[in-house]
Amino acid sequence: MCSSGVSAWGPAVPESTFAGERIEQLHAAPDDVLRIEHVAKRFGPITALRDINLHLRKGEVLGLLGDNGAGKSTLIKIICGFHRPDAGTMWLKGEPYAPRSVDDARAHGVDTVYQDLALVDQLTVFQNLFLHRERLTSPLPFLANRRMRREARRALDEIGINIPSLDVPVARLSGGQRQAIAVARTISGDADVILLDEPLAAMGAKEGTLILDLIARLKQEGRVSIIMILHNYVHVFQACDRVSLIQDGVISFDRPTSETSVEELTEIVVEEYRRARLAERSSAARTPTAALDSTG
Amino acid sequence: MAKRVLALREASIIVVTLVTFAYFAITLSNFLTYSNWKAMMPYFCFLAIMAAGEVWVMTLGEIDLSIGAMYLITPILFWKLDGAGLPLVPSVIVALLIAMLFGAVNGFFTAYVGIPSFVATLAMLFFLDGLALILTHSEQVTTPGTAVAHTTGFANILGAGTYSEFIWALGIVAILQVALSLTRWGIYTVATGGNRLGAAEAGIHVKFVIIRNFVLCALTAGFAGLLEAVRTSSITPDPSGSNADLLLAVAAVIIGGTLMTGGEGTIVGALIGALFLGVLQDGLNVKGVNATYEYLYIGIAIIIAMTIYVLVRRIRLGSGRA
Repeated sequence: MCSSGVSAWGPAVPESTFAGERIEQLHAAPDDVLRIEHVAKRFGPITALRDINLHLRKGEVLGLLGDNGAGKSTLIKIICGFHRPDAGTMWLKGEPYAPRSVDDARAHGVDTVYQDLALVDQLTVFQNLFLHRERLTSPLPFLANRRMRREARRALDEIGINIPSLDVPVARLSGGQRQAIAVARTISGDADVILLDEPLAAMGAKEGTLILDLIARLKQEGRVSIIMILHNYVHVFQACDRVSLIQDGVISFDRPTSETSVEELTEIVVEEYRRARLAERSSAARTPTAALDSTG
Repeated sequence: MAKRVLALREASIIVVTLVTFAYFAITLSNFLTYSNWKAMMPYFCFLAIMAAGEVWVMTLGEIDLSIGAMYLITPILFWKLDGAGLPLVPSVIVALLIAMLFGAVNGFFTAYVGIPSFVATLAMLFFLDGLALILTHSEQVTTPGTAVAHTTGFANILGAGTYSEFIWALGIVAILQVALSLTRWGIYTVATGGNRLGAAEAGIHVKFVIIRNFVLCALTAGFAGLLEAVRTSSITPDPSGSNADLLLAVAAVIIGGTLMTGGEGTIVGALIGALFLGVLQDGLNVKGVNATYEYLYIGIAIIIAMTIYVLVRRIRLGSGRA
């Protein structure tokens, strides 16, 4: 039933509704750090991304909105090298960009804060901060724990996150503190494109403000460009320069936040919900016919 | 002070071992003697070596059930290679390499094919046990390099010397504990066991880590088998015996403080766990307890040790250190 609902999307929603390509032509600029054209990705029978066109300017903060399952996380995981796209091309700083792995993407300056945070509960704060970027002693390659503790303390102070001890396992920390550590891990690297998958999930208002302040400061510095997935529209207008909406595997809306409003975004999403309901109903109406066809 | 000791991951097994040791020391006049210590070492040294490798696999949240079979097959391979005309030391090395290859097969099926390690290594257990019986025609064989009037340097180093196994056990435990706590490989092992997806997202090649750890585990088990074969100067193709050793090694790992769910492991703890099992078996032996009762007492002792482990762990988690 569920899969027939998905397949009913195509005819129910005319292709012309998705103006991703047109939008991109309108807004694409020569100072794009990242450009994505016609990226598609399937997982078996599920089409996660159909035709994604997206660009990110230097120093820009782009908010990515969309329903659950619209493909936001998949897109992030393609940009960061975790998944490979089935089709489409990407450019990073003017060069063709096809990361072979997360490491490869990181070497190109693209780093990610994942929705599931990629923290290891059993490891301590500083061990998580340096996971897969460990500092080693020489000549014998042991972990330089003292140095990592010192650098971790400095990085967290710089960000203004108050973590009582660097030696506690992160399992003991609150959701916000964990998120802050995940963000700190990414921005203390050398990345110039940072992807954040729902950085404000699992956060209290106070901790959320901390992360938003952090992003505002990064924006001010202008060194990094940011794509972040958000759910809360208010946060989008607080933190982002531009907002893109993913619907059904394509980018259906793309506009600077100064040219749109919470009301407009809400309307678009409600409209999408109505369309989905309509599509469901029409596919349900078709089902008996299909059953007759198959028996006949 | 007491709280700081209890905050150690190995705290509970240290307490349990000390209590057991004290009990035997008080109730038996000939327990605290040099000759008894010499009698005790063969009980726990090879177990400590097997357990040290198993910690690396169990910290991943996996298990290697084939270490008893590795322990059995490696000396048989050594005997076969020696019989084929290869000198002693190369035979040892090639036998260990073959054991590592079996370990890599375990890791491959676990990491790449996606078979649960419990099943993959169970299959390996039967395969290697069968191979051991086939190669020896189910008959006891003499370990090469040991059947001479005077013990050779080769045999003395590889298990026959009084302290040989003990020194090997301490050395292997020390090296592997340092590797687990202070190297990238160790951190990646903990990370893979604690959050496999997260570790992969951080860029760690978790599949390589899994294979490497199974290879290491096979190596330590095979090496323990070689030491025991040289010490006793014979190899008995007895899968039930070697698989009982497997279970004792796993018990040593668990009561030593390594989590079965992964993400936490201690090799020093496993050494003390093996020591505990050694003290227990030797103590019961000296006490004159009928050998028939031995497993029964070990069973009771393990459940008591684990209960204390759980209780002490609660104190530990309240102490601000895990």
